[in-house]
Amino acid sequence: MAVMKFLCDTKRCIECNGCVTACKNENASAIGWGIQRRRVVTLHDGEPGEASISVACMHCTDAPCMAVCPADCFYRTEDGIVLHNKETCIGCGYCFYACPFGAPQFPKKSAFGSRGKMDKCTFCAGGPEPDFSEAERKLYGANRIAEGKLPMCAELCATKALLAGDAGVVSDIYRERTAARGAPGTIWGYTPTTG
Amino acid sequence: MFIKSLRSLFAMLVIPLVLSMGLGLSASAMAADEQSSQQQAGKTSDADLWRAVKSGESGYTVAKGVETGVLINVVGNEGEIVRNQYLTPVMGITVVGVFAAFLFFYLVNGPSKLSKGFSGKMVLRWTKADLWIHWVMATSCLALIFTGLNIMLGKHVLQPYIGEGLWASLIYGSKTIHDWVGPIFIVSWLLSVVKWMPMQTFKMYDLKWFLVVGGYVNFGPFKGKHPDSGFANAGEKLWFWSLTLFGLFIAASGLMLVLPGLDLPREASMAALLIHSISAVIIIAFTIVHIWMATVLSEGGMECMVSGYCDENWAIQHHNVWYDEMKDSNSIVYKN
Repeated sequence: MAVMKFLCDTKRCIECNGCVTACKNENASAIGWGIQRRRVVTLHDGEPGEASISVACMHCTDAPCMAVCPADCFYRTEDGIVLHNKETCIGCGYCFYACPFGAPQFPKKSAFGSRGKMDKCTFCAGGPEPDFSEAERKLYGANRIAEGKLPMCAELCATKALLAGDAGVVSDIYRERTAARGAPGTIWGYTPTTG
Repeated sequence: MFIKSLRSLFAMLVIPLVLSMGLGLSASAMAADEQSSQQQAGKTSDADLWRAVKSGESGYTVAKGVETGVLINVVGNEGEIVRNQYLTPVMGITVVGVFAAFLFFYLVNGPSKLSKGFSGKMVLRWTKADLWIHWVMATSCLALIFTGLNIMLGKHVLQPYIGEGLWASLIYGSKTIHDWVGPIFIVSWLLSVVKWMPMQTFKMYDLKWFLVVGGYVNFGPFKGKHPDSGFANAGEKLWFWSLTLFGLFIAASGLMLVLPGLDLPREASMAALLIHSISAVIIIAFTIVHIWMATVLSEGGMECMVSGYCDENWAIQHHNVWYDEMKDSNSIVYKN
């Protein structure tokens, strides 16, 4: 059984925010105005050692959001993806306080700016409604996992910095990259074959 | 000879000094080199980068919102663990425990009866304004307690036994009622604190009240004791000041939680959530005791908050200092 994970390669991420746009476009039916499920953070911006990281819901194995939610609206799919039921969500904001990655987002409702139903990255796996249903599309956006595809952010990443998929496969790819980088004389991240 | 010995003395004093200074300088220069190389490494080493990220370092991002530049929020998960491992069980134990303890006490002890029975003469104790403040606060407080308990404990004690749709409406209803009743509670709480504070100052006889447990115990050395008390007895004063203090905490933290427009840092929100829960535990414990005392334990006590009048014998037995003061100043108002 797969355990789905994101991994962002800081040596490759160029802070283009393409993942943010790809996500927002793919899930446009569900993401309200002023909300982005993914963001890119740059550390040491403009200094030596600058590193950019694309971050969204990390689909934790011991998810704090799930533990703190008073409505118990979170659940984990058999692929290890953390999803939530917007019909049960009460917009209390506890998951936002508890989440290490700042993933939960809240659309503003009119009365005193109170929170609406929480929205977050679904790993492009929709929600509890039937796959490809209108309700699922309106509430959660795309369900690429049910189509056998990976999340749009990682698929559209131009430098392949953002990796998504089964934890084993993702870490194998990353391990190969770092091993190649560690070898002397390889500037390309892989060994070019010529002739 | 003298000059030579002076020179050697000088050499003995100065040469080690110079040497040690030289050594010290070179050592500090080496340390500075090491430090700067560490700083250089800090900017390029992966381990240091991730260590900074894990400790909550903030970076640049185009995303708008609260603390979007922070990759890892350190405090949030710790707050969640404190809440789930300590506060939630403590809340459950408090509700069940305080209720059960009082039920047990009542069954063993029986009610506190008026030793001279009812006189039938009713003395004014609370004005109509006091009654209104009390009942608005009581109703809103009970609504907040029941909805709040569902928000805190519902998913453990209620959700497993009811359907998904019913649970969704119950928890959403709880949250909505909790949000909108809160301001009513805050206003009535503020009025009650301001209006009733003059009667709640601690006096020396309040200590003796605690020593005989208020005279409510019907057995052993405490039996038949009627300790002195003014308009409010020592227990009521403790309740008043607890509600004043923790009412302030719960109101302030509640406003922080219910108004996302404040854009508070997540640390502040999590702290507010924990303070809100702790204050709720204390207020709920006192509320359970308060309701037990008024409804069944103290005979004739409930009447005070129903009509505003208390029986004259009840006033003499439970609030003798207050009664004597009124009698001396001839200011007792009887019910017509």
